[in-house]
Amino acid sequence: MKRGWVLQTLNWFEHRLGMRDQVLEALNHPVPKNTGWWYVFGSASVTLLTIQLLTGVLLTMVYVPTPDLAYQTIEYISYEQFLGWYVRAVHSWSGNAMMVMVLLHMTQVYLWGAYKYPRELTWVVGCFLFVFLLGFLFSGQVLRFDSSSYWGIGVGAAMAGRVPLIGPALVHLLLGGETIGGETLSRFYALHVFVLPALLLGFLGIHLLLVMRQGVSAPPFPAKRTDKETYDKVYERELAEGEPFAPDPLAKDVIFSALIVLVVFVLAAVYGVGLNELPADPTIINANPRPDWPFLPLFALLSLCPPWMETFVILVLPVAGFAFLVSIPFVSGTGERSPWRRPVGTIGVVVGVVLMIVLGWLGAVAPWSPAMEAWSGTPIPERMVESLSPTQLVGAVVFQNKNCRNCHALDGQGGTRGPDLTTVATRLTKEELVRQVVQGGGNMPAYGKQLSSANVEALVAFLATLHPEGIAPAKPSVEPITGPLAGGDNAKDDKTEVARDQ
Amino acid sequence: MLDQALSFIVARGRPISIAAWCLCALLAGCGQPNRANQPLPPLDVMAFQPLFQENCAGCHGTTGQMGPAPPLNDALFLRVVTDQELNEVIKNGRPGTLMPGFGFNPGLTLSAKQVDVLVKGIRAEWPSSPREFSGTLPPYATDAKGDATRGAQAFALACARCHGAKGEGTDTAGAINDGAFLKLVSDQFLRRIVITGRPDLGMPDYRQQITEPEARALTDQEITDIVALLASWRTSDSFAQEPAPGATKP
Ligand code: HEC
Ligand code: HEC
Ligand code: HEC
Repeated sequence: MKRGWVLQTLNWFEHRLGMRDQVLEALNHPVPKNTGWWYVFGSASVTLLTIQLLTGVLLTMVYVPTPDLAYQTIEYISYEQFLGWYVRAVHSWSGNAMMVMVLLHMTQVYLWGAYKYPRELTWVVGCFLFVFLLGFLFSGQVLRFDSSSYWGIGVGAAMAGRVPLIGPALVHLLLGGETIGGETLSRFYALHVFVLPALLLGFLGIHLLLVMRQGVSAPPFPAKRTDKETYDKVYERELAEGEPFAPDPLAKDVIFSALIVLVVFVLAAVYGVGLNELPADPTIINANPRPDWPFLPLFALLSLCPPWMETFVILVLPVAGFAFLVSIPFVSGTGERSPWRRPVGTIGVVVGVVLMIVLGWLGAVAPWSPAMEAWSGTPIPERMVESLSPTQLVGAVVFQNKNCRNCHALDGQGGTRGPDLTTVATRLTKEELVRQVVQGGGNMPAYGKQLSSANVEALVAFLATLHPEGIAPAKPSVEPITGPLAGGDNAKDDKTEVARDQ
Repeated sequence: MLDQALSFIVARGRPISIAAWCLCALLAGCGQPNRANQPLPPLDVMAFQPLFQENCAGCHGTTGQMGPAPPLNDALFLRVVTDQELNEVIKNGRPGTLMPGFGFNPGLTLSAKQVDVLVKGIRAEWPSSPREFSGTLPPYATDAKGDATRGAQAFALACARCHGAKGEGTDTAGAINDGAFLKLVSDQFLRRIVITGRPDLGMPDYRQQITEPEARALTDQEITDIVALLASWRTSDSFAQEPAPGATKP
């Protein structure tokens, strides 16, 4: 009885839409055999995307994209609204999980050679989807409008500003003016909730259509080469031997997606997502903006590179990286698919992944930005203070007052932008210390103009005490060294001096 | 294989138990952020310890002692100095020295309220009992002019045994007749050190500097004279010609 009613309704719709055949075809379309569990990352990404859309809509109902209210509304969502924190946590965890899924999906497709003929366009559209996803994470971080969002805005503006010719206009468009202000936030908001979703969904539609049209590729086997002449025939045979999409491959997709969703829900429930940064405030110069994890490699690169390379890293590298991704199927669109037969590509992936992890790790742990509070908040170790003379004491104050501590640690405490100076006197003589302080060098600013000679004298008197008891300080070499070491640079000479003294 | 996996999962009821756990975590609000963990904007910090540790400990030491800058956790110092004077130094720094002003400099600003919190906190954290220092104490600051010649006599009596006859330093204590040192500290600092000594580093206060046979406290006049002597060493030095170092941050 009930059943008949449901069926009737369905039939009513079917009569008008006429979609049953398409749906059935989608479910029954054959896929190659032995696809295993490797083909699930794409569908998991789409599942997470639906979660993003749902939670995103919920968040927009409360969030207000104005500088004075943005942070406040997030506070409201996190602390007051019923389960608001959970929606925000799911949005955050699921967004990050989506990034992970997409990266896995791309790696799998690349390694399987699935981007090759006739699926080049699918890959290219996928590359755009990847860029849009990055755009989401990027603009999402800005919407938080806490002190870390300045990183996003700053880098975004720097990137746009370096585009030839239209750079300034682009910056103006992005920031909604010449400087970061009220307009800026609404620009990023529009990007995050209108522009990017439209682009992403549009391109995703094309991507999925292409996937349906070209079918999924069979798993690669060594020596089974892809050839434009023969591929279509071969694939037809593979499909003939294959199985229908429903139920087994479909079930794999569903099970894996469900698992990921479960993981996201549990992580969001258990760990949530906090408000760990201060609200954005241009007057707080102590902010140490650090981007979310997908951008940590870029962050590390930007911090590591010398200033003259900045344009390259910030503009050329991302564009070149995208162009490289897009060009892959055109450079190697045919031939071997198996990762074992494509050593260059496979090693490239491994090297790339390791590089990203190392850079990301560097970006996460290394405080490239100086520790802004060390000068006034990190004490000179007491064991050092104990044995200082009045001049050395005041030298230690100079060390704090002139911000040296923000970059240099003593006994492991303080900034780590420059080397720990706990034992610097074993490495450098007084003359070299003076030179380092006055002229700077490496990534250290020259302090000559900011320090009076009394400052320098007291400072160096203090630095010269920094050697462990029993190990003599570095001495200028009195007699020229002869033998194999002659001609070495000064630093080497000093080390041999120290070694001899020990 | 897939069917087996499915029926295994279903049979064990895993999804239900996981969902149950999930719900529990959710209801317990495990992951709900806590307002207490949210950092405070710098100008909203109103507790003494965080304010002191962030802004002062770097030079004055974690406990207000054993830093390279003069100790604030010093009973005698806190007896002679007034709240007004503390307030003034913290707000404006001490121009010409390395003590920065916190009350005006953009970027390291403390509000007037926070400076009050610091002054009150210094008093509360390190109380100084009045009984310990009875009688008239030498004032923290003075307008009186000292005399370097008389100062030299007092120096020989009170300081020479540790700092050397001409302030050149001995094994007990380092040199104070040093151009760079004198250039970077104020007369007020010198006066204060003569009065309080540096108990944390082994220098006695003004009552114990003169040893047997005379063994008495320095007088206010003698303190003023000694400071005049040290100041005269400063002006005869080459560093004296240079402009004063900025007391504020670069
Ligand atoms: C912006 C961060 C920064 C600041 C501020 C800074 N330094 Fe450095 N410092 C560095 C870096 C980076 C190096 C390593 C330079 C190199 O690679 O040659 C360095 C090197 C040194 C060295 C040589 C260490 C060695 O082991 O060879 C000394 C000494 C030193 N700095 C002293 C100071 C003093 C004194 C100050 C304050 C007046 C100061 N630095 C301020 C970043 C900084
Ligand atoms: C960069 C180092 C530095 C920091 C940071 C610093 N001080 Fe000082 N402070 C000094 C020096 C050096 C002096 C002595 C100046 C002089 O020569 O008169 C001083 C002097 C003082 C004095 C006067 C002491 C006396 O003997 O007359 C007070 C009070 C004081 N500081 C409080 C503070 C407080 C409170 C803070 C934190 C808000 C602070 N200081 C932070 C370096 C510092
Ligand atoms: C019992 C020995 C002793 C006597 C007496 C003594 N001092 Fe000191 N003084 C020290 C010690 C120890 C220090 C800590 C620095 C060091 O070890 O060199 C010190 C440090 C100082 C400082 C530097 C304080 C700082 O915070 O940078 C000054 C200035 C000073 N003494 C002046 C004097 C004067 C002036 C007198 C005489 C009125 C005097 N001292 C008497 C032992 C002494």
